[in-house]
Amino acid sequence: MQVDFSPVLDPDFRYVLAVAVLFAGLALGYLIGRVNERLLLALDVDKAVEGTSIERMAHDIGASTVSLVARLTSWIIYAFAVLVALEVARLTVQDAVWYPIVGFLPSVVIAVAVLFFGVLAGDKAELFVSERLRSVKVPEMSVLPKAVKYSVLFVAALVALSQVGVAIDALLVLLAAYVGALIIFTAVATHQLLTSAASGAYLLLRQPYGIGDRVAIGEHEGIVQEVNVFVTRVEDDGREYVLPNHLVFKRGVVVVRE
Amino acid sequence: MARPPELLEDVLDGIDTLLVFSPSGAYYDRVKDVEGADVVVVATENSVGAETFVELPLAFDDVKERIRFGIEGALTEGAIEDGDELGCAAPLFGDDIDMVARTKVDESRHSGIYDLFANSRAEPGVIRDVFEVAIELGQKGQKGKPVGALFVVGDAGKVMNKSRPLSYNPFEKSHVHVGDPIVNVMLKEFSRLDGAFVISDSGKIVSAYRYLEPSAEGTDIPKGLGARHMAAGAITRDTTAVAIVLSESDGLVRAFKGGELVLELDPEEY
Repeated sequence: MQVDFSPVLDPDFRYVLAVAVLFAGLALGYLIGRVNERLLLALDVDKAVEGTSIERMAHDIGASTVSLVARLTSWIIYAFAVLVALEVARLTVQDAVWYPIVGFLPSVVIAVAVLFFGVLAGDKAELFVSERLRSVKVPEMSVLPKAVKYSVLFVAALVALSQVGVAIDALLVLLAAYVGALIIFTAVATHQLLTSAASGAYLLLRQPYGIGDRVAIGEHEGIVQEVNVFVTRVEDDGREYVLPNHLVFKRGVVVVRE
Repeated sequence: MARPPELLEDVLDGIDTLLVFSPSGAYYDRVKDVEGADVVVVATENSVGAETFVELPLAFDDVKERIRFGIEGALTEGAIEDGDELGCAAPLFGDDIDMVARTKVDESRHSGIYDLFANSRAEPGVIRDVFEVAIELGQKGQKGKPVGALFVVGDAGKVMNKSRPLSYNPFEKSHVHVGDPIVNVMLKEFSRLDGAFVISDSGKIVSAYRYLEPSAEGTDIPKGLGARHMAAGAITRDTTAVAIVLSESDGLVRAFKGGELVLELDPEEY
């Protein structure tokens, strides 16, 4: 740290300056911590993290996520203040010890923050997915929220690790394989659903036929009872045909007008 | 000195059937072999594997409504009979059962509301939403004046073919469903003009301002009701739809199914 101390060559004055720096740092850290807490509360972060594992963990040690984050920012600034004060007072025995640590600190802070948000996002995603699946009473479905959570955590861990400079090439390959498999699986398994949804979007936007029209799709003729994104329900003589919308595009549709 | 449970003894003394609302598995295990009374489970789904089970199509918030609905359901399914003494155990404040009540089955108060929700073509939630709109409309009216409205729910394709437009359809190319927040306002606004609202099985509002032209032959509705009720009765006889009518003259909400009046509600009581 090349600070110009020429006007203050006197060692006593350096100590005074160091103490001043230390106190300024402590005050600043405290203030920023408080402002941060207010800011997080104003942004409704406390409500957003409700029910996640971090919030529960924080609760167990008698704090909340918001106060933990606020305190963390304060402590980082305190640490910097102490280091700068030591530097100003030239109390460090060997400069070389501090510089790598100080230089490394920002990456560590960012890595921790990324991990933190990764865990939060993972928990949130898990809650969201399980909430959406709650009405689906298939026990096997409980795997899905977990899978979503750990996928988010995995990506967050990768970013955090790359931030602190750990070699993650092998993990990247794993991630690529995972995402690739997911895309191929989804594309193959939901091919018909996707084409139906694309046709359904057209049908809903343009409405070539509506509820009450008599239509023939393929060999099924009847009165349209319902059109949604995936299927068209056509009823004829007490029989209700549930026809996937991609049939409308594949086979065409005849609107019967008498 | 009597312990609190003993004070409640006469509430459940001499009942024929115990209706248990949404019990947990452990609670049902305790209750199923109870002596001296049959047990009927009433819940949105039979998660405890009960022998006699009445399905609630909606999770009623009001316990009184829930119990009434449960009794109607049990009566329709033949689990209880007219004149039976009933005990009801239900959750009121929490998720666990925390209250008991006693009532008597009265066939004459059978309103057909269970059948209307459970055995209709349209989804129960859609019928409930339409009821809510009709009741709200009945309470407030349009700008303070009483207003009438006719909603035909379900079997929309057939209803559309048995009706014609009175004016341009404000819901053309729109995809709004009953229960969407903004829709109640729209329905209220459009109820000012004559004609029926047509709503599909899934709750999509297909059209407003429809003039229903079913064959009214053989439709038997109570004397004194007007053309709106006659049209409602007739359309439900001709199709598998349900019609919910808000009367302009007496302010009551009535539901028709299969050409018959099945339910009459006073919006002021809600």
